[in-house]
Amino acid sequence: MAAVENKRTLDCAGKATAEINQFLRNAAADGVNEVEVLNPQARHNLAVSITDPIRLVFRGHVGYYAVSLCDHVRAEILGSAGWGVGDNLMEGEVVVHGNAASAAAPSLRGGRVVIKGSVGPRSGIGQKWGDLIVGGDAGYMTGFMMQKGRIVICGDAAGSLGDSMYDGAIYVGGEITELGNGVAVVEAGKEDLDELREMLAGYGIKPPKGFKKLICDGTLHHFDKKDFDVWKEVL
Amino acid sequence: MEGSSVKAERPTVEPAASDFPRLREFGGIWSPEAIEEIHEKADLGRYQIRGQATKRKDFPSFDDLVFVPSGLSRVALEGYRERCDTQVVIGEGRVKRPLVLERPIMIAGMSFGALSVNAKRALGMAATRCGISTCTGEGGMHPEERKYSSKLVYQYLPSRYGLTPYDLRKADMIEIVVSQGAKPGTGGILLGLKVSDEVAEMRTLPKGVDQRSPCRHPDWLGADDLPVKLEQLREATDYAIPISVKVGASRTYDDVRLAARGGVDAVVFDGAEAGTAASPKIQLDHAGVPTVAAVGEAAEALRDLGMKEEVKLIVGGGIKNGADAAKCIALGADAVYIGSAVIIALNCHRPLYVDDYARLGTTPYECCHCHTGLCPVGITTQLPKLVARLDPEEAADRVTNFLNAMTMEIQLFARSCGKKHVNDLDGNDLRALTHDISLMTGVPMVGLNGRVPAWRKF
Repeated sequence: MAAVENKRTLDCAGKATAEINQFLRNAAADGVNEVEVLNPQARHNLAVSITDPIRLVFRGHVGYYAVSLCDHVRAEILGSAGWGVGDNLMEGEVVVHGNAASAAAPSLRGGRVVIKGSVGPRSGIGQKWGDLIVGGDAGYMTGFMMQKGRIVICGDAAGSLGDSMYDGAIYVGGEITELGNGVAVVEAGKEDLDELREMLAGYGIKPPKGFKKLICDGTLHHFDKKDFDVWKEVL
Repeated sequence: MEGSSVKAERPTVEPAASDFPRLREFGGIWSPEAIEEIHEKADLGRYQIRGQATKRKDFPSFDDLVFVPSGLSRVALEGYRERCDTQVVIGEGRVKRPLVLERPIMIAGMSFGALSVNAKRALGMAATRCGISTCTGEGGMHPEERKYSSKLVYQYLPSRYGLTPYDLRKADMIEIVVSQGAKPGTGGILLGLKVSDEVAEMRTLPKGVDQRSPCRHPDWLGADDLPVKLEQLREATDYAIPISVKVGASRTYDDVRLAARGGVDAVVFDGAEAGTAASPKIQLDHAGVPTVAAVGEAAEALRDLGMKEEVKLIVGGGIKNGADAAKCIALGADAVYIGSAVIIALNCHRPLYVDDYARLGTTPYECCHCHTGLCPVGITTQLPKLVARLDPEEAADRVTNFLNAMTMEIQLFARSCGKKHVNDLDGNDLRALTHDISLMTGVPMVGLNGRVPAWRKF
């Protein structure tokens, strides 16, 4: 029986995006444990549509849509990420050691996206399931139209936080500039908080002293003319 | 104040405006319809929402154009003997697996959620028999639609409901939706009664919620980002299948130009007459450009880029028969998108279950109650007892017949104009009945025989 190949290395320099992604897909299909990706040079669309289990380590920054439309992938980005990192992740984990630009983890469907630094606007937008964890601050409209799952922001959150969320929960350790429409602040339970602290410790992120918990208040689930002031903003 | 507490008696059932005879002196701005609309808003406290399409009658239409078939100056093809081809290929020479349509017709995006599963099954069966495509619409790829439809266009929308990398690989074409003709610039609406257990599960929503879809993609915003997003979707589909962008007709020239430059294989637009399962009525009537007016603009944009052959133009919005389709093709479309017409072929508006139409406060031919989820003929509903009213096999036969009839109509015009392929029809085969349509489309006016109008001299 052939031994499982543990590791391959890929140098992106001079290679076409299609070639890079095919290399990664082949490695995952061959059952390779890990690919170390050198010189990602903040290129767009690195590691798209990989659906076999594999661990990827990017030694540098990545551009738009890194580790997107993937399933069962565990990726570590030793740098910062452009827009839409972890887009539509089904299951698996993406850890960004630096910051992430706008729309981090858009339409996340499962698994976990961890940004140790800060994220830009519209992060966790349309989140369907899974966890988005932000070690630093989050830009405006984070959690917009969130559907399920959890967003954890250890730092501050900018305006319209969780606007029009259908379901799910957002935890914020720092200041919130402004709540979005249809959002209520509730008390986070001890079990919730213990779980968050344990989760953050696993990524070496220092938890804040406490968390505010935000959920959907249900006002936008159905139109009611009494709530006109809110609907004026959202329709 | 005792006097003010006296309540006036109010009749329990109010007759509709249409129950009263129309007297000419009661015309003007405050027509019965305008009055009724204000009464309804005064009750509801919100804008009116309904299905179907605009009911405006003053839009320019394909009816304002006529064909000028062969005579002595041109030779017609024999109607029963000579071939008149209908095949259209999207993405030829650009992707590994281009989409081959046996006719220049595609069934437009209508979601499972808006439509019942039986409607989806019937459309899939009919399209497969005719060698044309259906389109998922919003809300993900229903396995039954994939099973019955051999050429399936998978919509990629701002909401990303039900999106998976696995379904992307199962698609025969991807359509990136930017906006839609019925309500350009706004997102979809699916009212609570239609958000059934299955729909809620597919879209990851609370059951029974009034769903309002976003109108802007979460992770790309404009033409600059489009090539990057396209590359991502090409990677996800192994550069195998064509990708289009769909926009509602508004600034059509610029939108088509930007999409084509962005690298798509086809541009889809639908005009202001396009259908919907639920939209603000005010927007149906007052937003977007009518289909006939936008086709020429779109074709011109592709010609100006030198990409008219390479990038296909797919046009929808109020196309109801082979004449509309043939005129649309003559103005520059490669294929037409039809939604409402095939829904009507399924059985929409058919005077069956008339009592149920009455319970909705409407009649079979006036019905536009798709948004309620109480469709009497089982098409735009998720309620099992209503869904069962649509037999997919029988409905598929009706749609097949309609698509066959429409194809024959398109061929009829092509043959009579001496064209061996329906897509050889061009603007020279048409004449305009009005100045307006002539100006909009560039098609010469009837009766002028190509003369420069007198006013051009001044």
